[in-house]
Amino acid sequence: MDVYVVGAGMTKFGKHPDRDAVDLAVEAVNEAIRDAGVDRRRIQAAYCGHVYGGMVLGQKVLARTGLAGIPLANVENACSSGATAIREGYLAIRAGEYDVVLAFGVEHLTTRFRGALTPGEEDLEGALGLTMPAVYAMRAVRHMTEFGTTREELAYVSVKNKRNASLNPYAQFQNPVTVEDVLNSRPIADPLRLLDCCPVSDGAAAVVLASERVVGELGRSRAVRLAAASLRTGTVEVGLPSMAFEPLTRATAQDAYERAGVGPEDVDFAEVHDCFSIAEVLRVEGLGLYPVGEYPKRAARGEADIGGRLPINPSGGLLGKGHPLGATGVAQVVELVRQLRGEAGPRQIEGARVGLAHCRGGKAAGVEGAACTVLIATR
Amino acid sequence: MSEVERVSESYVPFRPGLLRFEGGRGVLVGGRCRSCGAVYFPAPEVCARCQGQDLEGVDLSGRGTVYTYTVVRQSTPEFRTPYVLVYVDLPEGVRVLGQLVGCEPEAVRVGMPVEVVFEEVARDPQGRPVVGWRFHPATEA
Ligand SMILES: [Zn+2]
Repeated sequence: MDVYVVGAGMTKFGKHPDRDAVDLAVEAVNEAIRDAGVDRRRIQAAYCGHVYGGMVLGQKVLARTGLAGIPLANVENACSSGATAIREGYLAIRAGEYDVVLAFGVEHLTTRFRGALTPGEEDLEGALGLTMPAVYAMRAVRHMTEFGTTREELAYVSVKNKRNASLNPYAQFQNPVTVEDVLNSRPIADPLRLLDCCPVSDGAAAVVLASERVVGELGRSRAVRLAAASLRTGTVEVGLPSMAFEPLTRATAQDAYERAGVGPEDVDFAEVHDCFSIAEVLRVEGLGLYPVGEYPKRAARGEADIGGRLPINPSGGLLGKGHPLGATGVAQVVELVRQLRGEAGPRQIEGARVGLAHCRGGKAAGVEGAACTVLIATR
Repeated sequence: MSEVERVSESYVPFRPGLLRFEGGRGVLVGGRCRSCGAVYFPAPEVCARCQGQDLEGVDLSGRGTVYTYTVVRQSTPEFRTPYVLVYVDLPEGVRVLGQLVGCEPEAVRVGMPVEVVFEEVARDPQGRPVVGWRFHPATEA
């Protein structure tokens, strides 16, 4: 039973001091339904991904969009919340339970946080002073130690993604930056600086998923097939594993490649979880899209640019587009849809047929990472 | 009376079960799986490698080497910046996170030998010292 994305919508990511999470989600949901061209009375179930939105956020959105009454589950999986919500819908359609499902993600983070996110104060490492930037800073030190990655090469990841964001009207950052700008920005956790870190963002994104049967009715011309939606949790580390590689990302990707019947060599572009410049490196190498240890040098040569050998984060990624936690995974799929339909405007990747979206989020003492998702969409 | 002895009389452990004091010396306490020998810090209830449910407490070495590090310049309000965080590899095959004190942040290096020290890291709501671990550049053996 194949599953298709038939509608996609999102708000502009950024700071929205005059709007709340529900308001943002309503906009994204309505845009996705409009884009799908489906009567909203046909939506049979909904899944809402968010982290800090509070109790029954999803139901508040249904109440304002004429959808109240259908089953809805609120899903929390840290930065993978939105992608996990999509996966729940995907599984329900594959199981034959529903034909049309809504999945959305939302976060109003600027009212919750300033500065560094942490694993949570109840977490052992959080209580020792570990912040998320510190986790990635220490991983950057290892990548630099093991592979000779340079500070400038890491900065280029941020330069590339903010340049891509300047071509995306929905992105938080609309202005390109230089390697020098990154290196001169405020230090956060050595060697990472402010422009190596994704911003604090508000935003929402939504998709409408449909079964083979319904897509036949609606017409296939703008439908994108969701070929895999894989989820894994990080295993407890035994011994002294390398912090410069991500077994969790690798395991999740292998599951997704098998289910989709494609390999990393078939992927035309990817949206990956670049919460930090070094994070993009670890994701891309974990996904098998570039050889382990080589991504920073190849990216700095332009291979991951739009128009390069294998573009990474054409939307601008988290570094450029912004990172409203629960919305991020859904917004990645919005970009897959726009690219695969050929509707991405100045950032269009010519002839893109296979797109991959990767999220991972959360940290718990003893595990490499909490939740990881890999979604593959094809045309 | 040594500092540790004085502290250990009224100390509140930063995390119960992860550290203890004996004969005036503090030690970090990990867990070892009796079935496969895997060592953890902290110990899970069930072994992640063999799913064995019989884990015993094991004293960890007080010395190790820095696997990686960072100088944290921005943190949450509970922490005064800057501070140095290190992941330290211990001979038992476990990696332990802690703050590094006793040297300039610029002097920290991958592979640097360090030793664990026990210090007051906070006060509890009753005003008693909360004792936790930190790392210090190793003194010559
Ligand atoms: Zn075992």
